[in-house]
Amino acid sequence: MATRGIDFASLSLMDALDLAILVEEEAQERYEEFAAQMDQHRTPDAARFFRFMAENESKHGLELSARRAQRFSDAPRLVSRAMIFDIEAPDYDAARAFMSPRRAMAAALASEVKAHAFFVAALPALKDAEVRSLFEELRDEEIEHQDLVKAELAKLPLDSGLSDEDFVDEPAPQ
Amino acid sequence: MSATGTCEFQPKDYKSDLKPIWCPGCGDFSVVQGIYRALAAIGRPPHEIAFVSGIGCSSRIPGYTTAYGFNSVHGRSLPIAQGIKLANPDLLVLAAGGDGDGFSIGGGHIAHLIRRNMDITYIVMDNQIYGLTKGQLSPTSQKGRVTCTSRYGSLENPVNPLLYVLAYGAGFVAQASPTDLVGMAATIEEAIRYPGFAFVNIQSPCVTYGEEAQQIKGLKAISETLASLGHNPADRLAAMDLAQHYGEKLHLGVFYRNPEPPPTYGDLVKERQTLLSKDALPKERILDLFIKK
Repeated sequence: MATRGIDFASLSLMDALDLAILVEEEAQERYEEFAAQMDQHRTPDAARFFRFMAENESKHGLELSARRAQRFSDAPRLVSRAMIFDIEAPDYDAARAFMSPRRAMAAALASEVKAHAFFVAALPALKDAEVRSLFEELRDEEIEHQDLVKAELAKLPLDSGLSDEDFVDEPAPQ
Repeated sequence: MSATGTCEFQPKDYKSDLKPIWCPGCGDFSVVQGIYRALAAIGRPPHEIAFVSGIGCSSRIPGYTTAYGFNSVHGRSLPIAQGIKLANPDLLVLAAGGDGDGFSIGGGHIAHLIRRNMDITYIVMDNQIYGLTKGQLSPTSQKGRVTCTSRYGSLENPVNPLLYVLAYGAGFVAQASPTDLVGMAATIEEAIRYPGFAFVNIQSPCVTYGEEAQQIKGLKAISETLASLGHNPADRLAAMDLAQHYGEKLHLGVFYRNPEPPPTYGDLVKERQTLLSKDALPKERILDLFIKK
């Protein structure tokens, strides 16, 4: 989770909304990438879950885009994707071939926790009241997203206690 | 927002439609994102960029960009990149590959690009293993490493890529890692902007054959930025001193940047061409050179 060139103290509401949209877009794309990776490695259950997450991120992104359009019409975007990295998107190293749905959900839960931490950490630097209110709202939504993932986790059958690491072979001599 | 960072190109403009086939969790996924960002910051259109690689997992990287790409033969990315740069000096030329490609089969080429100061950025994704061929000992594998070709542990000391290129006189030497994604993109960008041969060693974990200590968590535990150590990148000897910790510490950032970059090979070629052009025969009389008078 990192940012580059963002001055939170002078962040305007339009830029804050754009930033929030970019965060959702980045997460959506990452989940889609993960789903494609799982398809490629014949891990359909994890792929299905990552697609579910991508749809959710897309939904949140569209909601934010509608708010942005209503308030600022089509004013050009002044922030870019280059300014954020892995705010709500799961880390690339969280994916594994043949990962279980439980592990996939744990990765998603960790990224929702990470996003919550981002908004919490940014709040003290914000000066604009509307931006602060938006960040508080986004922070609270991350808790809702965590609950959503936890609900999916609760639907899973009990864990066998084994992980994919238990099936790794020692290197065979060549 | 004061810093808008608006530019003509966005990272997605450099992303091709080809889906990476690396193992899920591979460090190279982050590296390619870092490259997209660095290229967007540089702002050159994809058709003005040539990206050459050798063979290996990481050498698939040109195909995942919209630049001109050449996934060449094992260890030969640098001579091919050199040829491209000489044939079309206006292109921004990048070369990439793994530690095996760069420091084993291709190890002999690096010295010559450095001494010529070719204006090429060379990115090595150093995972200390031959991943594509299923986990054999590579030139940067640690001594004692157990692999399928070193059942009782490697007897060899690893190559130190940073000292290797510093000793040959590279003008720009840096190290990055997916543990610091923003820093990695900034380092690649700085390397591309350097006028001459620039080397970036990226410690990119292999999730399938890499050891636990070489995964993101392990790398984070030993990483520190050179800036936080107060390192002066203009000090080559200090850079060599720090580079000796390769394998024990993960120093991130610029080890060395020549404060007075010498002319590139391309500059010298152009100078020579200008010098000789006044005595050059016109094209239609070029065959006269081969006719005895």
